[in-house]
Amino acid sequence: MAVNEQEWTEHGEKDAARHREKIKKAIMENIADIISEESIITKKGDDIVKVPVKGIKSYHFKHGEKGGAGAGQGKGKKGDVIGQRKKGGKPDRKAGDEPGIDYLETEITIEKLIEMMLKDLGLPKLQKKETAQLEIPKGWTFEDIEKKGLQSNLDKKRTIKQAIKRTAVFVKTIMEEAGCTKEEAEAALWRAKGDINEALELLKKGRVTLEEGEVPKPYIFNDDLRFRTLKEDVEYQSNAVIIAMMDVSGSMSTYKKYIARSFFWWMKNFLETIYENVRIIFVSHHAEAKIVDEETFFHKGESGGTHCWSAYDLAHHLTETEFPTEKWNIYAFHFSDGDDWDTRKTVESVKKLLPRCNMVGYGEIHDQMDDVDWLQGKLMKDLVKGLNLHEIETEDGLEIFENTGEEALFLGITINGKEDIYPALREFLKKER
Amino acid sequence: MKTRIQKLNEMDKVIQEIAKDLGLDWFPQEFDVIPERKMIELLAYRFPRNFSHWSFGRDFEFERTKHDYGFGIPYEVVLNTNPSRAFLININPFPIQVLVMAHVYAHNNFMKNNIHFAPTRRDVLTSVSSAATRFREYEEIYGLDEVEKIIDAGMALQYNTNFDFFIKDGTEERSERLKYQKTKKRDPLDDFFPKKPDGKEYKKRQKECLRRTPMEPDRDILLYIIKNAPLEDWQKDILSVIRDQMRYLYPQMRTKIMNEGWATYWHMRIMNRLFEQGYLTAEDHGYYSLYNSRVLAMNKYHLNPYIVGLKIWEDIEDRWNKGKFGKEYRECDDLRVKEKWDKKLGLGKEKIFKVRDTYSDRFFFEEFLTEKLVDDLDLYIYASIEHPDGSITDIIIEDDWQVIKRLLVQAHTTFGIPHIEVTDGNYKGRRELYLKHLFEEAPLDPEYREKTMEHIYDLWQNPVHLETVEIELKIPEDRLAILSDIFGSIPQKILDELGIDKKEKGVIYTYDGKKHTVWEIELKRNKNSQLRLS
Repeated sequence: MAVNEQEWTEHGEKDAARHREKIKKAIMENIADIISEESIITKKGDDIVKVPVKGIKSYHFKHGEKGGAGAGQGKGKKGDVIGQRKKGGKPDRKAGDEPGIDYLETEITIEKLIEMMLKDLGLPKLQKKETAQLEIPKGWTFEDIEKKGLQSNLDKKRTIKQAIKRTAVFVKTIMEEAGCTKEEAEAALWRAKGDINEALELLKKGRVTLEEGEVPKPYIFNDDLRFRTLKEDVEYQSNAVIIAMMDVSGSMSTYKKYIARSFFWWMKNFLETIYENVRIIFVSHHAEAKIVDEETFFHKGESGGTHCWSAYDLAHHLTETEFPTEKWNIYAFHFSDGDDWDTRKTVESVKKLLPRCNMVGYGEIHDQMDDVDWLQGKLMKDLVKGLNLHEIETEDGLEIFENTGEEALFLGITINGKEDIYPALREFLKKER
Repeated sequence: MKTRIQKLNEMDKVIQEIAKDLGLDWFPQEFDVIPERKMIELLAYRFPRNFSHWSFGRDFEFERTKHDYGFGIPYEVVLNTNPSRAFLININPFPIQVLVMAHVYAHNNFMKNNIHFAPTRRDVLTSVSSAATRFREYEEIYGLDEVEKIIDAGMALQYNTNFDFFIKDGTEERSERLKYQKTKKRDPLDDFFPKKPDGKEYKKRQKECLRRTPMEPDRDILLYIIKNAPLEDWQKDILSVIRDQMRYLYPQMRTKIMNEGWATYWHMRIMNRLFEQGYLTAEDHGYYSLYNSRVLAMNKYHLNPYIVGLKIWEDIEDRWNKGKFGKEYRECDDLRVKEKWDKKLGLGKEKIFKVRDTYSDRFFFEEFLTEKLVDDLDLYIYASIEHPDGSITDIIIEDDWQVIKRLLVQAHTTFGIPHIEVTDGNYKGRRELYLKHLFEEAPLDPEYREKTMEHIYDLWQNPVHLETVEIELKIPEDRLAILSDIFGSIPQKILDELGIDKKEKGVIYTYDGKKHTVWEIELKRNKNSQLRLS
């Protein structure tokens, strides 16, 4: 018989897993670049970021062609526009026209990114305050994800993720089948209420245009639904408060502020991921310090003179009132460019605050492009003197100063650019400290 | 009741009868009916039971995700083996299975008769699965990372090899011939009256020649590395397997338009007979038309080989039936006479069989792509223009049939594989590898160049140099649109129209295992490497 049924064992699954592992590795290798991406701090945990991943393409010698020219088929004469698209929305050329298929970007959620970074960083050390140790019912932890389950256990995040993933595949398929741009494919799919066959029909009939302000979104199908199974979980944990202090004075350029914000944004996301009941107090200061809400802290600029002590004093005040040291683990972090009007007073304020905290961290942002270079680094120098700090070696090549002998740790780090954000986070949050 | 498989076996016999009647012959044909997942895997891995690699896994996962929502499954995979093996998806509807089987017989006929397939190993499947077993053993002995490093590097160079099957590569005979040719005195009459090499001069030249490696520039970078890099046997084995697999697949790349067009041409005719003779029903016909129209759909960003190939074959048949060829026809300038031209020669069938036997896509286009076909197929060349805001417009830049034809011929000559040769394997006398890019169309992609050089370093274990040409573009400021990266493949005429000034400079890139460096050299351009389209 010439026609037979055949079976053979597949290994696609195993190799696909190996590929995913390589993506993960590539992300970790580029993490310092990825996390200092400016647009990231406007995102939320389940937002998806596009991460350019180097090192998982199949490389070979080829001609450079980003936009590229090619042969196509259809009605039209010289000068006619056949497509309009955003950058990155490459016309989908079939494999076989040229050797090899490559995927340039991978998508990852901020949540996942944080999870990967935490694995790399380890957990920050939180000292136990016996009296304040609380039994924290973490409620239920989710053990597994399944396609069927109780409506109340619907994992919305994963469901939507699944729908997004599937929609992306649909769009790509439509682009291939109909030979249209990404925008057209998305519009058609939206019009067809997610039905891919109908979308293809629509495109066959002609252009699909959207009303102004109409944005195509994924439709959720039954098949996209994801449910969790539950397990009860109780955890014992300490209370922790983070006092995030940022210099917003005139000498802090947009770039420096962005570095400080980027640092705090990641720190906040880390700590919120790890601890159920971490409180974060945002303090911004120029000549005067004040407590601000998160939105203001991350997005509003200010200017004026600089009194760093005002922030440390405000922090000290907080430890005496709202967050007594017997009940709270207190961590204070301060970012500035070191251009401080009264460093003597600031050193005094730090000395006063330090015993009340588990740790005080100071990040000083230097900008090589800055004209007022002589002012930079002033505070760090005086802190080194005043607190008797000594420099320690790190593998990242950061300039780090540490105190000795004290109960509470003081850590000063010089940051020379956005590539230092990740190493600084690592140092501040290091498990062994 | 008959099982599905029994029904397909019956149809197989009928198809064979019809195909025979239509004048086709073929290698014995076997069909394997497999689940979709296996088909996806087959597509990603190129061969059944091929070795394991993450890039296959990546492609597998991508295709599978696509498939999970019911799309993107190929209709068939046929392997160029004897007996020929083809794969059908178990859930395809009956009339589609029949269509695919008819299509497969035509592929089989093409691969049996086309000269470019003649030197390929028709027993490739045995070597594929035994290689997979060996690779697994290497993994156990040397570890996944080490094996992967070699496979990665081999894959990076798989296109830079010698695809000319008619010259046996790397045989003793070839190097002896080279030695002889290089060392004898050059005299124009040498080819006619070979002389015995004489004493001193001969020895001197021979010495010089033996010192040089390779003796003449070698386009087969992969083979050169296999033979000359300090590699262990298992590493050489891996590289050779990758090289052999690509060489095996190359004739298919080289004849894709012809082959798919040929298969479509015949499956349509076989299917018509099946409908006429009542083997398939009216309902089946509905399915068939739907699938067939999808196979033949045009795409504005790439050529569909099924429709382009089909139309060219049909045009050849028509022209040779009517005698629309030769001097008399070519020189007739009365369009009305030309249109009605019919000498009733009936040579169409004979001609297409002849073309099937010896042509490749490049010559197929060069000889048979006519103005009328370019018109009927609505072919054009487009370019992507990037605007300052980052948006991109795709615009038709050429609809002149002769330019289109020239570009297609060019694209099917090089397949976008840059022509790079090993010119020196002992550069500076330090066993460094010197590669030269024979600049024809476009500069190399910088990211891909860097990473590929790193892969080569992994094998060569000594610095790697690459000589190439870079292009600088001066774009008038008043232009809103920027032509991005398409300059190389765009005719000079069009650049002139757009007021774009082009400047070329020669460079050598070096990778020494740690960092990439570059320096400029004087650009020497010989007559033969003029931009083809200028």
